[in-house]
Amino acid sequence: MRCWERPLIEIIRLSVNGDSHEIGVPSHYTLLETLRYVLGLTGSKQGCDKGDCGACTVLLDGLPTLSCILPVQEAIGRQVTTIEGLADPDGPHALQDALDLTGGAQCGFCTPGILMSAAALLNVNSSPTRQEIREALSGNLCRCTGYTKIYEAVELAARALREQRPPAEVLRS
Amino acid sequence: MKLEDFRQKQAEKAASQEELRRALESEFQIIGRRLRRTDGLAKATGRAVYTDDISLPGMLHGKILRSPHPHARIVSIDVSAALELEGVHAIITGSDMPVPYGIIPWTRDEYPLCVDKVRHVGDGVAAVAAVDEESAERAIGLIDVEYEVLPYHLDPEAALEDPDTPIHEPRRPGENGNVSKHVHLEFGEVDRLLAESDVIVEGEYYFEGTTHTPIEPHCAIAHFDPGGKLTVWSATQVPHYLHRELARVLDIDVAKVRVVQPPVGGAFGGKSEPFDLEFCVAKLAMITGRPVKILYTREEVFYAHRGRHPMLMRYKTGASKDGRIEAVDARTILDGGGYSSFGLVTTYYSGQLITAPYQMQSYRFDSTRVYTNKPCCGPKRGHGSVQPRFAIEVQLDKIAESLQMDPIELRRRNLLGTDTRTVNEFRVISNGFPQCLEAVERASSWRDKYRKLPYGRGVGVAGSCYISGTNYPIYPNEMPQSAVQLQVDRSGRVAVFCGASEIGQGSDSMLAYIVSEELGVPIDYVRIQSADTDLTPVDLGAYSSRVTFMCGNACIDAARKIKRQVRDAVAEAWGCRPQHVALAGGWAFDRSDTERKLPISEAFNLAEAKFGALGSMGSYNTPKDIHGDYRGGTIGSSPAYSFTAHVAEVSVDPETGFVEVGKIWIAHDCGRALNPILVEGQMEGSAYMGFAEAIMEAHVFKDSGLHNAPSLLDYKIPTSLDTPELESLIIESLDPEGPYGAKEAGEGPLHPSIPAIANAIYDAVGVRMDRLPFTPPRVWAALRERGRLEAAGQLTPWKERSAISQLTAVGD
Amino acid sequence: MLRLHPYEYHRPRELEAALELLKEHAGDVMPIAGGTDLVPNMKHRLFAPGHLVALKGLPELHGIVERQGEIVLGAAESLSSLADHHLVRSHLPSLARAAGAIAHPMIRNQATLGGNICLDTRCTYYNQTFFWREALGFCLKKDGDVCHVVRGGTRCVAAHSADTPPILMALGAKVDTASPEGVRSVELDEFFIADGIWNTQRKPDEIVTRLRVPLPSPGLRTSYQKLRERRSVDFPLLSLALAVGLDGDDRVESIALVVAALGAKPRRIGGLETLAKGERLHDELIEEIARQAYRQSNPLDNIIVDIEWRRAMVPVFVRRAIREALARP
Repeated sequence: MRCWERPLIEIIRLSVNGDSHEIGVPSHYTLLETLRYVLGLTGSKQGCDKGDCGACTVLLDGLPTLSCILPVQEAIGRQVTTIEGLADPDGPHALQDALDLTGGAQCGFCTPGILMSAAALLNVNSSPTRQEIREALSGNLCRCTGYTKIYEAVELAARALREQRPPAEVLRS
Repeated sequence: MKLEDFRQKQAEKAASQEELRRALESEFQIIGRRLRRTDGLAKATGRAVYTDDISLPGMLHGKILRSPHPHARIVSIDVSAALELEGVHAIITGSDMPVPYGIIPWTRDEYPLCVDKVRHVGDGVAAVAAVDEESAERAIGLIDVEYEVLPYHLDPEAALEDPDTPIHEPRRPGENGNVSKHVHLEFGEVDRLLAESDVIVEGEYYFEGTTHTPIEPHCAIAHFDPGGKLTVWSATQVPHYLHRELARVLDIDVAKVRVVQPPVGGAFGGKSEPFDLEFCVAKLAMITGRPVKILYTREEVFYAHRGRHPMLMRYKTGASKDGRIEAVDARTILDGGGYSSFGLVTTYYSGQLITAPYQMQSYRFDSTRVYTNKPCCGPKRGHGSVQPRFAIEVQLDKIAESLQMDPIELRRRNLLGTDTRTVNEFRVISNGFPQCLEAVERASSWRDKYRKLPYGRGVGVAGSCYISGTNYPIYPNEMPQSAVQLQVDRSGRVAVFCGASEIGQGSDSMLAYIVSEELGVPIDYVRIQSADTDLTPVDLGAYSSRVTFMCGNACIDAARKIKRQVRDAVAEAWGCRPQHVALAGGWAFDRSDTERKLPISEAFNLAEAKFGALGSMGSYNTPKDIHGDYRGGTIGSSPAYSFTAHVAEVSVDPETGFVEVGKIWIAHDCGRALNPILVEGQMEGSAYMGFAEAIMEAHVFKDSGLHNAPSLLDYKIPTSLDTPELESLIIESLDPEGPYGAKEAGEGPLHPSIPAIANAIYDAVGVRMDRLPFTPPRVWAALRERGRLEAAGQLTPWKERSAISQLTAVGD
Repeated sequence: MLRLHPYEYHRPRELEAALELLKEHAGDVMPIAGGTDLVPNMKHRLFAPGHLVALKGLPELHGIVERQGEIVLGAAESLSSLADHHLVRSHLPSLARAAGAIAHPMIRNQATLGGNICLDTRCTYYNQTFFWREALGFCLKKDGDVCHVVRGGTRCVAAHSADTPPILMALGAKVDTASPEGVRSVELDEFFIADGIWNTQRKPDEIVTRLRVPLPSPGLRTSYQKLRERRSVDFPLLSLALAVGLDGDDRVESIALVVAALGAKPRRIGGLETLAKGERLHDELIEEIARQAYRQSNPLDNIIVDIEWRRAMVPVFVRRAIREALARP
């Protein structure tokens, strides 16, 4: 069976979280495999093998994308943002902070994917309704929370970003 | 920075005078507050390192070859071609580890890799370690296994009647090898009370199997060092039991085995016993001298299973005309799958755990667990009792219906009460169930809705109870169930060492809250080291909702030992009585004069100077006189029970059969809520999971024995758009034996979801859904059948159902 | 995790180059656009080509424009851009709905219209891992010679499971393709064939470049209905599209009803013009249309959901489609 022949190694340039990497990858790698096993960016998770759970969600030029079924070459020349790139050096992103405040992460395994979907939503919609949040997250399966506290986190983060205040302060008010 | 500057910084961070004065007035500083988790930000920023995120130098990757047959004898295995493949380092088969294992010491009936027979599609047969996953995958394709295919059983009743096709050899000659466990217990005079009952309801219920579906697939890594020490990192929720089983099966000194549990990406009971991959990585690491990792594919997670047992439940319930439950007679068949797992316990739980929150005058159950040629069933959130809870709560709804009584009222007439014993002699102390019922009744506007909503919409109620840990460990011993070690640094930092497993439920955070509460240190001064058998004292694991109760008590025990020393030392320095010294808000201060205070680190330093290095051990063990002394009376007994009530509101589309669960009100008595956010998270997650089982999940198989749908596309778990609105109502009936009065919250709140939804569907459209799940085709078929009977005049059209005014008034 | 087989990934910059690559590696090459169907299928070893030719970078396959009485849709446009595009939303609202109902947000960002048209048929005995299929003894569609859906069947009945074709067919869309032999254009109706193994007349070296949809007349009312278990993620258990043209007097001038997710190709319900032309869509007529659709729809056990129920949902969804179409301006 020819599919088991020795893999081809391809040298590619990837822009991930603002860093430009020149790397050699087997040409059959997905973006997720490249992030996790070549670049060591293990924040993006693998849950279902094939695009059914959303744990591997990253942003590709700002759009939520399933990295587990994306051939790595499709990320060439585009901006990849992973959960590791969501925070600023001076602190967590409002979504990350808000999720911590509302208890929206339990086991935390779906969390990176959920937050990338949520970040993309807030980039285009600064005050989403509950229904809009549900729709934006409808490709990210969470098995722990029943989603409620995740919605609360997105709402809190949206408000914090609108009011340019830390989520904790918004929560107190 | 000089030490004084550090102190200055700490003092600035510590509580103000005003805060200290307030602290004196309130019972708790930390407990009961809505606080962050200790691991929340690490998880939200992608920094939490799960098992598959670990990569060790020189690490090999393993794959397990699995059986394509549901039942077959292994005639021969030829690994020669696979061994020759470039990149392959080692291959093992059943004969490399021919030691049976099993989580319950009395029912060890499986092998790390099958030795003689395979018992389900997906049973492990051989394992390969190779330079990468692709090579390992290729190698298992080259292993040649000759099977002698055997007849197989997928249906437990058929297996029961066919002892000539034994899935396991009978334990004693003449016994049926397909019976995994049989339990028959009777309390009170069931037959007499049934005969005397005014109303008898009989029902047959079927609970389809479901599986845990954590988003993280199982993963394990082993490292074997030249000194003979084995380290296994695994996504497990029972590191202690894994530690023991690894040593036993691999025949190595248990002191030379270390199990480390990284953060676990969801478990729900699905990672609560050893699995083939843990033994395989260990053995392969021992053979190759290289670290070895195995990560399950999603499909393999379905084969590992250990999920909820399918149960066929035949119930007969008798009640008096004023609604008193006179007798419950239950016969249950449990479909166990290929092995025992926790099945002995499950079989007991299927009967033992439904005797609260209602008083039963008499009770009998007969439960038989049967082997079938399917992946093994085991404990899933609400182990063994979610299924019978569905049956009993729907039975109660039917009784209420036949008595024309409001179902909440019926439940009120059978309240168990506090400081009492159940019909099967379990001791119950705290019991907030009446408050739970009241809370959901009020929040849901029940009285305005029940039997009053328009056709197609309805509400349903159900209640339940659950254990806060099992009273006995899985292997008999007299040692504590949980232990915590504290170690205090001169900086004020407190390290907590504990074997408990953080699986997302928040056990690490719980430990930090307790230490912060007891020793007055800020939460971020507390470091948690959990679930590393080299470093942490034993906790038995994250199962049966035991961690907050048992580990929490152990932690309080440890913290108070240090607290005593600190207060003594400070009191000596100040010349006052130790009782006057309080620890809170980063200070040690004088209760009678809050101006007199020391930064907590200085207080610790005084104690260290007086007593030597500061550290302590705490532990917890269960009381032993809280159950009946009949055989099996210990199983299902717990030091404390949680209670739950749900009201579900649904709308049913009569044309399609789609059930939309609009909202679930969840009232849960968790004793003291140590952190309400975490408690709500467990309540919402539980109700979600119950809802999922009610409406869509089905862990089923094709006639060939192949799994019907081993993927997250075809095994349906709810998306955000499917999940109902969930409202948590915390009820706190403080338990005298719980840590600060706390009880469990992780599993109990799941139970009533399913019957509450079933009862709501009945209220909406008048069909009884006695088989799970309530998928559109089934609801549609039931509606069609009802329509046929209505058209024939055999049933009154449900659209003309009686209003609540005709029922027994609430509160009569 | 499930790993992919080794392959070479080509990213041509223009259509000519893509066609050249398909020709060069004929027999061992597949085009790939969004990959949301092909990549999982490759992980299942349903396809294992040595070469993949990426289409997303081809400018010829992009763009959504109105031209000469048609809406022209580039095949490499993503489903989310289709669902959100103002031309599609205003002129082809049911297509926007169908595209927006596919899978979930990430899939819609990645998957393309062309890929949706060429979506491989689906079956419970086919969309499984190599291990699972081997344990089954494989099937007619891939690696075997037995059909597990229709015992003794010799023709594959895997289900057409794409969401956009039914409405595109109802709207009279055409498919433009390009191959080394040249370009051609076919009616979407004819593009699909009733063979579950390969249910389009697209040749392996042929690329779908564009879909062209006639601008609907002002009186055209449409609806798209999708039956699925979950409100996101899932493929349709039944999908149904309706386009009905009404005159100024609300009488039917034309009617097209297409039902999919039952067999290997979308089925255009026949006999409706005779039934409805010149009539108003009164309740009795709606019932008769629903009955016709029911009679002509025969679901199979290719999807693991009760077939009797799926069939019974056909008339329900026909009624809903007609009501929705009439309710919309």
